[in-house]
Amino acid sequence: MKTIDVSNKSGVVEIILDKEGMEVVVVGTFEVFDKDVRKLHVKIIHKVPHTRATTTLKGVAWDAGQLKLSGTIVIEHEASQTSSFLTEKILLLSPKAHAEAIPNLEIHTDDVKCSHAATVSKIPEEHVFYLMSRGIPHNQVEKLIVEGFLKM
Amino acid sequence: MSRFAPIKLPTHTASIVDDPYEHGFSDPTDKYAFISKPGLSARLVKEISSHKNEPAWMLNYRLDALSRFEAMSMPMWGGDLSHIDFSSIHYYLKPTLGESKKWEDVPEYIKRTFERLGTPQAERELLAGVKNQFDSEVVQGSLKDVWSKQGVIFLSMDEGLKQYPDLVKQYFGTVIPFGDNKFSALNTAVWSGGSFVYVPKGVEVTMPLQAYFRINAEKAGQFERTLIIADEGSKVSYAEGCTSPTYSTSSLHSAVVEIIVKKGARVQYTTVQNWYKHVYNLVTKRAYVEEEGNMVWTDFNMGSLLTMKFPSFILAGKGASGETLSMALAGAGQHQDTGSKAIHLAPHTTSTIVSKSISKGGGRTTYRGMVNIGPNAHGSKNKVVCDALILDPDSRSDTYPTERVFTNDVSLEHEATVSKIGEDQLFYLMSRGLSEEEASKMIVRGFAEPLIKKLPLEFAVEMNRLIDLEMEGSVG
Repeated sequence: MKTIDVSNKSGVVEIILDKEGMEVVVVGTFEVFDKDVRKLHVKIIHKVPHTRATTTLKGVAWDAGQLKLSGTIVIEHEASQTSSFLTEKILLLSPKAHAEAIPNLEIHTDDVKCSHAATVSKIPEEHVFYLMSRGIPHNQVEKLIVEGFLKM
Repeated sequence: MSRFAPIKLPTHTASIVDDPYEHGFSDPTDKYAFISKPGLSARLVKEISSHKNEPAWMLNYRLDALSRFEAMSMPMWGGDLSHIDFSSIHYYLKPTLGESKKWEDVPEYIKRTFERLGTPQAERELLAGVKNQFDSEVVQGSLKDVWSKQGVIFLSMDEGLKQYPDLVKQYFGTVIPFGDNKFSALNTAVWSGGSFVYVPKGVEVTMPLQAYFRINAEKAGQFERTLIIADEGSKVSYAEGCTSPTYSTSSLHSAVVEIIVKKGARVQYTTVQNWYKHVYNLVTKRAYVEEEGNMVWTDFNMGSLLTMKFPSFILAGKGASGETLSMALAGAGQHQDTGSKAIHLAPHTTSTIVSKSISKGGGRTTYRGMVNIGPNAHGSKNKVVCDALILDPDSRSDTYPTERVFTNDVSLEHEATVSKIGEDQLFYLMSRGLSEEEASKMIVRGFAEPLIKKLPLEFAVEMNRLIDLEMEGSVG
């Protein structure tokens, strides 16, 4: 099993699974501040049978930062008995922060297990309240939660 | 009510191709009042407009739309549109001189066809009103007195324009302007038929309104235009069904449906699309939802060669909500490119999109969606769920969601799964004595059930039957 880290990368990353039995884990964490714009497209292409990929992307946008994460899973016609999962999670820390999540699937055969999930939200107020009620000041609360969120 | 069930008549015109499609018969067109020559031109648009005695503003609007259509390029995304030959299509086919109020006044052959399609008069007791469209024109329509007395308007779009020109002028093209996309421009240029619905303040239409669209002629284009206005606090449910004959040439169906949901109103729009597998179905549907309004799209696509349809809602008022339940079934040669768009513009708006698709025999299903939560839409929530079932190795399923968020106080969730029928599930059912086909059908029905449950009962029964029919012989 191979782990590929795409943290804070931009542009297009293409991961091709072309050996039978190949297994990859793709992870990436992202943080954008001020007026930064970060755009990443991860493409996972399954070309042969019995391949497996798990992709997890987590991002945090502060200030007026913009985070655009796309992920595409392609399972080609020959690549049966494949499983591939993609998760994208984005936290927005300011009302001016922008996020774009595009998780695509292109499945050309039937014997596969494939899914993707994406969420975009702010820090739940209960979480903030819980930590603050234990004496942690507000500015540290956010940092703590973000740290925990980005841990793989 | 079995509006999609065929009524078995002994006299059966042979279907042109060997096909399980049940609605494939056709009627001769020699008794038509008017058929336009194939092809699209400003002259044709003027011709249509003069046939309808339209006000000048509508003709000008049509002509503007035509020049926009000609200027726009074909969409480069989605399904394969390269085989549409715009010059071979008849854009306007008028089967009768006018719309009949009574069923008895409809020409015999049209009446017979609608009876065969399962929409005879006897079955209409549970409906508030009906419209039956044959090629370009609504040939028959009615609305029960109890609703018309309360001020409900249910007319064909042509009649609506004649009787309520101000209301139509105020709203026509406001939700979907003709420049929205190439096919909304085409529809605006040559539209004919469709429904015009107005529900006054506070009126709850408890029975559904129904429209049935039938393409009959070969190489026909059907471009119906529907406008539904639900005034404050009103409720209405509208259902449409569509079928066409089995021609080997392709037809084009390109509708525009605009819905205005005013404060606190609720509209449910149900479509059961069962065109023959040579129809291009390129439809634009959108609702504009004001404060606390609620819009529900239930969209079922079984037929057509290629469907590109993404019912959308613009949630423009505080607390507005929208829901799309979409189901697609693609068999050999078919491509169902469907989905939904949710545009959140106001605070505390919520939307849910649930899409289920089944592809088999080399068919292709695509979910294509967009969720846009604007900078003023704090406190908004969205959830998208897409599930796809692929029944054989040659079929294909895609999911292309786009989610954009411009403010942080939101909750947005998306999930999608793709799978085949599990062998363990099949094994379980077959070990209990079901055949493989019965077991597969049962699993597919279970897969579709959460959506079918949301339909009115008669539709639910009918959908289950249609799915069973589509599944026939797909195993082994």
